Amino acid sequence: MNRDYDRRLRLLLLPYAAGIGLLFVLPALMSFALAFFRYDSLSAPRFAGLVNFSLVRTDSLFNLSVVNTLALVLLPAPLRVFGAFLAALLARGGRLRHLLRAAVFLPSAIPATAFALAWLWILNPLYGPLNRLLASLSLATPGWLADAQWARPGLALAVLWLVGEGFLVCLAALYDVPRDLEDAAAVDGAGAWAILRHVLLPFLAPVILLLMARDAVLLLQESFTLTWLLTGGGPYYATYTLPQFIYEAAFDRLDFGMASAALWALYAVTGLILALVYTIARQWQIGMSEEEFLL
Amino acid sequence: MIGPPARTAGRLLLVGLFTLPLLFMTLAAFRPTGQAITAGLWPNSLTLDNFRRLFAALPIGRFTLNSLLVVAAAVPLTILTASWAGFAMARLPRSTQRRWVLLSFLVLMVPGVALWSSRFLVYNRIGIGGTLWALIAPAFMGSSPFFVLMFYRAFRRIPPAIYDSARLDGAGVLATWRQVAMPIARPTTLAVAVLAFVLYWGDYLSPLLYLNESRRYTLPVALQLLQQLGRSDYPLLMAGSLWASVVPLTLVVLAIVAAALAERIRARHQRSAVDATDTRY
Repeated sequence: MNRDYDRRLRLLLLPYAAGIGLLFVLPALMSFALAFFRYDSLSAPRFAGLVNFSLVRTDSLFNLSVVNTLALVLLPAPLRVFGAFLAALLARGGRLRHLLRAAVFLPSAIPATAFALAWLWILNPLYGPLNRLLASLSLATPGWLADAQWARPGLALAVLWLVGEGFLVCLAALYDVPRDLEDAAAVDGAGAWAILRHVLLPFLAPVILLLMARDAVLLLQESFTLTWLLTGGGPYYATYTLPQFIYEAAFDRLDFGMASAALWALYAVTGLILALVYTIARQWQIGMSEEEFLL
Repeated sequence: MIGPPARTAGRLLLVGLFTLPLLFMTLAAFRPTGQAITAGLWPNSLTLDNFRRLFAALPIGRFTLNSLLVVAAAVPLTILTASWAGFAMARLPRSTQRRWVLLSFLVLMVPGVALWSSRFLVYNRIGIGGTLWALIAPAFMGSSPFFVLMFYRAFRRIPPAIYDSARLDGAGVLATWRQVAMPIARPTTLAVAVLAFVLYWGDYLSPLLYLNESRRYTLPVALQLLQQLGRSDYPLLMAGSLWASVVPLTLVVLAIVAAALAERIRARHQRSAVDATDTRY
């Protein structure tokens, strides 16, 4: 009876398992393999050896896209996780907590394209609200998205508002910190900072590390939506990122082989992130602790 | 060291900061077309003109309907498959549990970009490329490991004794899921429903990558078309953005109000329970 029950449980896992196989593992294996072929999705793939790799490596746009991607992903990710944690800390209690929760989540709830267009308006160099504010404070008013130097900072500023998922995870993790730990520290005379440093942060360290990795992954996607709609990669390729390189190779030129070869760079980075996450999850037994589940 | 007044000030500051983009969007959306863009941010009168122009410029009704079709199929499917997976993970032996949690974390860390081009090939091969099913497909696997883990977390919190008594009463796997686990995990279901709605309603990349006919486009793509029509017609762009944002915004606000009310009711119950024990002594 026991084994029968477990078998039925496994049946409930089937859609999830099949989906991971069909939508994640299979496509990943395909792009791994397609990097060695010339393939336009219309005629049969032809083996090409390492040609795609050398094409990608000699493409100056590829190198540029990797640098831009790193700039647009690595800088905002820690800032966003820090912001999400801070907001969650404040949204834990107090009379305004529900209002704060709603406000922090709202920018993440609107469609990414609507958010992007809102920032097209906010960052408008001449009439946009941001430059009006800067002008009223007699500060310099940069050209933002129209200026090759300021386009990246402009986009990095915009993505700081999209912290919804990290905020929810931090809030849930903070709720899981045993209340008595904090109370005991407070009785011992610990102030708010001491509790944060010696109780909350050690407890949440694995969650925060996981969030950093997850945020880098999310930013890759979010930054593409923004650059695709707002700058198209410009001005002067200042916001041309790896996702755009891959998009144009696969969907504009139907060169799936080259797109897959470029993806290998992404897989290398992802592999590093996965190894990190695996180690963290093992080390701290994330999701498996007896007391509570830390997501 | 951080006093309550400072915390309240911090909360208010954050509320202001995070609602600012929405405020600018709304102000521009109701701005009369005649009012010079160089004039102040505050419109001198409010108008619905921009929304009228929006519906004249694009078949917004059609796009809205497509968006509604996608969420109507994807959200219930997501709740079904994600809760199944979460339930199974919470009830299976610990070693299996550990493997699936780890696998879910790993899948969460795979960038979507890495799968674009080959998912396109997979969708075309199984014959759903170019249809709305290509947008709904992830819902068959719970949409995101994040949702599965949320259900897993909720189901694991239920004391094992409750599951065991259901099993002693002869309840099978599905009956336990439906009659015991799901009713207790209602807050999680609500949260996943709202998050899944937001995910599918705002999905811009799937239609961009997998659709080719404009009559199947959803609202996020409509905004791109709008931008191509007039890049500097900000009142029109903001009207479109606001139109596409209203439903998810309303849902999030309603969900948080519901959560706040539930919290208050729970607190009152606890208080009355304490009162009851007090009077007994």
